[in-house]
Amino acid sequence: MGDAGLSEAEKTFILHSVQDDFREDGRGNEDFRHMELETSLISNTNGSARVRLANTDVLVGVKVQLTPVDPERPEVGRLEFFIDCSANATPAFEGRGGEELGSEISAMLTRAYAFPGAVDFHSLCVLPGQQCWLLYVDVLLLECGGNLFDAVSIAVKAALFNLKIPNVTMTKDEGGVELDLSDDPFDFKRLDVSGAPIIITVNKIGHYHVVDASEKEEECSLARLMLGVTEKGTITAMRKEGSGSLDPNSISDMMEVNTRFLCLPGI
Amino acid sequence: MPLDTRRLTGPESSQSPYNFAPVNKLDLTQLDKRPDGRSIKKLRPLFLRTNVVSQARGSSYIEMNETKVICAVYGPREVLRREDFSLKGQLTCDFKFTTFSCRQRRQYQQDSQEKDLSVLVLEALEPAVCLHKYPKSQINIFITVLQHDGSALSAAITCASVALASAGIEMYDLVVASSAAICGSVTLIDPTAQEEDALLKATVKPDNNAGSVTVAFLPSLSQVSAISSDGELSFEILNKSMQECVANCQKLYPVLEHTLVKHQQELEAGRS
Amino acid sequence: MSVDIRLASSRPAGADLYHGENPGNIVTPGDIITADTGFMRGHGTYMDDECLHASVAGTVERVNKLISVRPLKTRYNGEIGDVVIGRIRELAQKRWKVETHSRMDSVLMLSSVNLPGGELRRRSEEDEKMMRHYLKEGDLISAEVQNVMSDGCLSLHTRSLKYGKLGQGSLVCVSPSLVLRRKTHFHNLPIGASIILGNNGYIWISPTVQDKSEESGGYETNLQPVSKSDREVIARLRNCVLALAECKMLLFDTCIIYTYEASLKYPVKDLLKPEVVVEVVDLVRQRLELEGS
Repeated sequence: MGDAGLSEAEKTFILHSVQDDFREDGRGNEDFRHMELETSLISNTNGSARVRLANTDVLVGVKVQLTPVDPERPEVGRLEFFIDCSANATPAFEGRGGEELGSEISAMLTRAYAFPGAVDFHSLCVLPGQQCWLLYVDVLLLECGGNLFDAVSIAVKAALFNLKIPNVTMTKDEGGVELDLSDDPFDFKRLDVSGAPIIITVNKIGHYHVVDASEKEEECSLARLMLGVTEKGTITAMRKEGSGSLDPNSISDMMEVNTRFLCLPGI
Repeated sequence: MPLDTRRLTGPESSQSPYNFAPVNKLDLTQLDKRPDGRSIKKLRPLFLRTNVVSQARGSSYIEMNETKVICAVYGPREVLRREDFSLKGQLTCDFKFTTFSCRQRRQYQQDSQEKDLSVLVLEALEPAVCLHKYPKSQINIFITVLQHDGSALSAAITCASVALASAGIEMYDLVVASSAAICGSVTLIDPTAQEEDALLKATVKPDNNAGSVTVAFLPSLSQVSAISSDGELSFEILNKSMQECVANCQKLYPVLEHTLVKHQQELEAGRS
Repeated sequence: MSVDIRLASSRPAGADLYHGENPGNIVTPGDIITADTGFMRGHGTYMDDECLHASVAGTVERVNKLISVRPLKTRYNGEIGDVVIGRIRELAQKRWKVETHSRMDSVLMLSSVNLPGGELRRRSEEDEKMMRHYLKEGDLISAEVQNVMSDGCLSLHTRSLKYGKLGQGSLVCVSPSLVLRRKTHFHNLPIGASIILGNNGYIWISPTVQDKSEESGGYETNLQPVSKSDREVIARLRNCVLALAECKMLLFDTCIIYTYEASLKYPVKDLLKPEVVVEVVDLVRQRLELEGS
């Protein structure tokens, strides 16, 4: 569709609408669009979720794999994020077109999940010093309608919540330890995701701060602040994006807006 | 991943000998005694020099004790691909740790962390450069970390902004960056790699703050051009350390100015 | 602040929204429409083995001897006289290229626009240089289809004061087949907003302007803030149009006003929720059926 490049007047219209705290679709500056969440929808994954936020559609599948531990951190399991910007979403993602966006999102997720309390990394370790679970979190963007980062992070958290890790029994052999994977589909454990963060993006439009911006609104904003927040109110990653710069005070304001959404992480 | 066969690759699985050596653990309870003898609020001495790569349009070198970064700027030059055409200039940034810069050997290919840092540096510099003055052209920034001992991102941003200025690129302001590491209620200014590592890997109590923050600041305009944080931090602590970083950026600003003035004087002297 | 998250399993079970009359003969590509050779081959059909086959999925339409298949979802196929909304994409020699949801970019010639200073003005070289001053990339215009070229490219004109550059307002994009062809596509609704239902599926909602000054030729846009009450009407209309489009209802002025009236009991932002959409559109449908339109 012809969304690329808004006219001067349309931008002004959006700018003023944010000033009035009454946006193009009737939302206030701090309202989210309608969101739909679905879990357990792909049988070949260990956990999956899909989030649809207005036109933004994100599908996440988590697969677990046993792997030798990282020699630097032998007591914990690992998380790995991969974002696939499908050309289904927009032809602009074709070939390597979506790579940059994908690596940006995965970098932000990696950082947001890089603190010890995100998930119980110790429970992901099967045999300290030898084997641990590696969780491959694969995100597929099906449709882009603004506010990708937030939608992706919510879908990731839901998929981790939905994750079923098969139980492993260990038997000691003379050659070493043998790992036996349970083949009973009901013999699994869940991952505690109460500490897992989600990302909230605050866009600066004019002098006001807006959450869950639509594509049009994102075009009007020069700078945005993305924060990984947890239910407890801590901030696990912060990043400024966009070509504009920000006043230190407005950063604090934006952070405050963010912290008001702390109720969100509890799904 | 395509491998360059001309390069010498190590065995498929190998480990760094440092994994077996006893780690010189930082005592997280006694942070006011820093290993290099600084107080917690003290910045490392900064050495800055321009014109280090003679063939580049502009270049600079920064040294903060053991952190050493070199940066070269090429361009503005024409954008080759027509589809990239735009009336604003483009800025590109390539951030690379040398393979020998860290404790662990790094790969010569850019990994995801380096890509992430490239984007961060770019976003820190973009607001400062008058890109509308360079239509249809691109400016390339290449940053190489020669030796990494913490705060590489802030060193790189500062270094790149001086390199841009020495290349004669029109800018609204210089960009100064500064970082801090946070552990509990203690904020360590300008952390070393040892301190950064200790904090990121520390399994502190869940409600404790542990992490780091980097702020890039435009001192004359008093605007923050980039901010990034890692680790789990509370809102108040993050806010406080951000203010501290901003204050430190202001402290560093004269050093940058001085370097550039000296650079200009050298050029004048060469001309006469 | 408000956040509305729900599970997909709680989606209102009303997926079968179609209540209308029998849509007629629906065919899929390859279906034989008729073996009778007395018919003429129209759009969306092809001849093979002396039978007429459909080449698109859609409904069969027959005008005398001409059989054509009208696809349900399509890009916009322009016809002379259509009102369209478009966005300027590119400036070229003496013409603007306009995106109109058509197969190809449409063309707006410099000679088919009104320039400031009246209709009879000669177009000089100066004007060619000033083209970006009148309309630049990203600007929205309303226009009429002047001609359809042999390759399907549309040539537009704005040689009437009702056409031209659009100012502040909200653009909604729906499927072109949802816009009902009417005598007029410009409506000044009594509720205080104007709506242009472009035949190409682009719908423009804006505050009503009283007098369009002839002096500037309509190229100066008013950048003064829109009042909050106007803004509310525009936002509500926007959501109503989207709601109707979501339920695949044909769009025309009466049904939009009915939807607007039916939606008044909800705050504007509630119209984003699916169950409210279904309810409001159901009310409108019943009212339209009652009136037999």
